[in-house]
Amino acid sequence: MENLIDLKNVSKRFKGFSINNMDLQVKKGFITGFIGANGAGKTTTIKMMMNLLKPDAGEVKLFGLDYKTYEKEIKERIGFVYDGNVFFEGMNLKDIKRIVGPAYKRWDDALFYKYIDQFELPLNKAIKKFSKGMQMKASLALALSHHAELIIMDEPTAGLDPIFRREFLNLVQELMLDGNRTIFFSTHITTDLDRIADYIAFIQGGKLVFNQSIHEVAENYALVKGSVELLDRDTEKAFIHIHRAPTGFEALTNNIAEVEETFGNTVIIERASLEDVMYYLEGGVQHV
Amino acid sequence: MFNLMRRDLIIQKWQLLVFIPFILVFILTNSHPILTFLVSSFYIPFNAYYYDEKAETNILLNSLPYTRKEIIASRYLSAIVCMVLSIVLVSLFLFVFGKNFTLTHIAIGSGLFLLFASFAFPLFYLLKQGHIFTIVLISFLVSVAVIPSVVDYLMDYMPMITNFIASLSTITLYTGLALGVAILYALSWGISTIVYQRKAF
Repeated sequence: MENLIDLKNVSKRFKGFSINNMDLQVKKGFITGFIGANGAGKTTTIKMMMNLLKPDAGEVKLFGLDYKTYEKEIKERIGFVYDGNVFFEGMNLKDIKRIVGPAYKRWDDALFYKYIDQFELPLNKAIKKFSKGMQMKASLALALSHHAELIIMDEPTAGLDPIFRREFLNLVQELMLDGNRTIFFSTHITTDLDRIADYIAFIQGGKLVFNQSIHEVAENYALVKGSVELLDRDTEKAFIHIHRAPTGFEALTNNIAEVEETFGNTVIIERASLEDVMYYLEGGVQHV
Repeated sequence: MFNLMRRDLIIQKWQLLVFIPFILVFILTNSHPILTFLVSSFYIPFNAYYYDEKAETNILLNSLPYTRKEIIASRYLSAIVCMVLSIVLVSLFLFVFGKNFTLTHIAIGSGLFLLFASFAFPLFYLLKQGHIFTIVLISFLVSVAVIPSVVDYLMDYMPMITNFIASLSTITLYTGLALGVAILYALSWGISTIVYQRKAF
């Protein structure tokens, strides 16, 4: 399977935060969700993918091309949506289109107006007067109108109300019908991903914890519930993190077979949602 | 590249409406033609920097299929284009209102603009956001106030320089100065490109 985004051994150091030796591959033709807590390094990673930041070490390739030689060719093929509004605030969508459109060789005016109609966006209203949801739709319309093969989005659903969010997710799914598209988007709202993602990349403290298909995540992780007496130094080893309560414990495991062998029928093993996985992985870092 | 330059006009369409009254104020208050040429040349490029210094603008431009080299080049080229347009416009108004001006005024005005731009542009990319506009404005006002008296001082107390300048033919003097300014502008362009390529957004 072809990798559209390929980060190899990428490091970036800031004051008080760093990304260390990250390897991240994004597969062509799928939706990859990029999750992690606030400050885990999602935006930094995306900025390196967009060449807004240059890594201190390592290699960033998109479509198999590097930014040093193929900056324009790469960006021609990417549509981007950022968390905040990056468009000139006081300007209306028509003028913004007049700036963004001509930058792309494959800009399609008819397609842009199709999205404007579909999203019911006003062309002559200043973008700063748009609601958060409308701003996101405007970014999306601009990102989709040049037949981009890869759509990179940084927290597109942050600050959207649930109805807007659902609408957005449906739209993303529609976009994939094209077959030739790849979508990479970061979020900290894991339920977004349960619904649409094919792959999940999870970042924590600047480190990629895993990058697996959503089925693999479901198969590899499980939530285990049982009474606290079952826990001792040996049995605890099967868990990534344990939450103890007077009524019993709840723990995350990535070794379901071992749990079954150790505890048998004395515990309840449930499917762990992405939120459970993220919560427990964030909660206690017990890298054995 | 042309699109990058064109964006100034789209962004500043309202400011452009004020441009003509702005020039007229200088002309009708009988300001020196050099000053009028100089100030009107500044109008568009320096307004543009007000937008360019915003982080969002840089994120947007750098996410579009442009290289950082092109973004800087568009800035330096459009400054020259704006200067030429302003000179044409100001000359026209000066002519219409029957004010006297000479080619020397145009040459000095545009020379000073390029000189000042050569120093100001790299500073825009070097300095921290938010302070740039104030710093440039203040340094411009200070230099306008100080430079004439510095020149006077040099003229009065350093007859050697005066003699040297006087000994040159007008053509040599002007060619020399034009060449000097051109070299400085090119140097400034190079420095801005290096600074901008190292920036993180």
